[in-house]
Amino acid sequence: MVHNESGMFGASGTGDTSGYGGLVRQAENPGSAQRPYGGYFDQVADDLERAYPDFADAIEKVVVDRGELTLHIKRERLVDVANILRDKLKFEMCMGVSGVHYPTDTNRELHAVYPLLSITNNQRVRLEVSVPDTDPHIPSLVEVWAGNNWHERETFDMFGIIFDGHPGLTRILMPDDWQGHPQRKDYDLGGIAVEYKGATIPAPSERRSYK
Amino acid sequence: MGLEDKLPSGIVLTSVEKLAGYMRKNSLWPATFGLACCAIEMMAAGAGRYDLARFGMEVFRASPRQADLMIVAGRVTNKMAPVLRQIYDQMAAPKWVIAMGACASSGGMFNNYAVVQGVDHVVPVDIYLPGCPPRPEMLMDAILKLHDSIFDEKLGPNRERVIKEVELAAMNAKPTHELKGLLA
Amino acid sequence: MIVPGLAFGIISIVLGALTGPARYNRAKLEAYECGIEPSPQAAEGGRFPVKYFLTAMLFIIFDIEIVFLYPWAVTFDALGLFGLVEMAIFIATVFVAYAYVWRRGGLEWD
Repeated sequence: MVHNESGMFGASGTGDTSGYGGLVRQAENPGSAQRPYGGYFDQVADDLERAYPDFADAIEKVVVDRGELTLHIKRERLVDVANILRDKLKFEMCMGVSGVHYPTDTNRELHAVYPLLSITNNQRVRLEVSVPDTDPHIPSLVEVWAGNNWHERETFDMFGIIFDGHPGLTRILMPDDWQGHPQRKDYDLGGIAVEYKGATIPAPSERRSYK
Repeated sequence: MGLEDKLPSGIVLTSVEKLAGYMRKNSLWPATFGLACCAIEMMAAGAGRYDLARFGMEVFRASPRQADLMIVAGRVTNKMAPVLRQIYDQMAAPKWVIAMGACASSGGMFNNYAVVQGVDHVVPVDIYLPGCPPRPEMLMDAILKLHDSIFDEKLGPNRERVIKEVELAAMNAKPTHELKGLLA
Repeated sequence: MIVPGLAFGIISIVLGALTGPARYNRAKLEAYECGIEPSPQAAEGGRFPVKYFLTAMLFIIFDIEIVFLYPWAVTFDALGLFGLVEMAIFIATVFVAYAYVWRRGGLEWD
């Protein structure tokens, strides 16, 4: 999946020759990795395959990038895989849920990322689930790792991912009646114009063209 | 009840004003409203080196009913704003507010959907203290300035006259963007 | 000694009430609940949840038991073996009540 990353000070058409304005990078998300993965990743993948026969069905892709292993899981199999990882492979700790929003990636806009840590084996692995914006439901992992309770509430509040089976999915950071999900890419930063002596400076999201 | 509002103006009232001002400014009791980083500086101001106890202010009352000064130290989010207002309402008059730090005075560096741009959108503020965070000595300077303004507060008919004058001046004042700054 | 103390207390309250400003605010009459709207209190009839009553009753009973234990502890030597056996019987009797409350769920808060 390719997306464009452009410089923050994207003032176009101004004669700005600093390079900031025109700096556009093509950034790609890393693709599938092939066996052997390297390090302990092969052992984790083999153990998972042995403990979970439907492994090939559940995993969409395995990514090994910058020394970290990420398993992209289908959302229907998420709870099973999580249970296997916690019980058989000894990944006792889940560091919470992070949400990611890729607005250009149709049908896979919202991702939920679960970093897992195995204290007994000193291993880390990451689970990633992708859901479309039109149906942002992911099964809740609160029964597997109870500490995910508030993290899932935060991901719901900030991204709008609805976790089915969560014991109480309400907004946690924003006021309870807030409309919108602030950390999505298309959510405006908000903010007001600032009045100084002699000038009024507009709000940050209107000052320069933040692409 | 509320004798002070009913005194006739004159020498007696002036002396009473001075006496009441003197008594009110000594040992102001602050209410704990430390929200973020400025709270650390407020704690430092209350600690040993920069001692707030020299003013009798080391007792940070947790209950607003026993406090007369609310030092809003830190950024106030949209979720916290009704709580702030409720605590302010539950304080007994006379009460004063210091907006400590850039975030409480004007939203600080956070000009976004989550932070209230200046706590004076929610409560009336007496002293704005800039800084990120302001040093404990700056907080004490703000408190001393507040002491001076409390000492000069008027009562009764004098107070109503002052309020009218201030309101008239604010209505006729030029808006900030029409003023000339230092670089003009 | 007690007269100036009493006088100071009474005078400060009366003087404060007389001279202080009277600014009404509805929030001042509500319970302090760290700034949020206070949870609704028991209205007419004063129907409080019974768990508060239970906790208070249990406290009274076991507090009285402790009160009986204090003088025994102070004169422990003089009372000797007889006192020990008698106190053990007393504690066992109250223990029956404790076991009953425990089994019947009186110690569950929710």
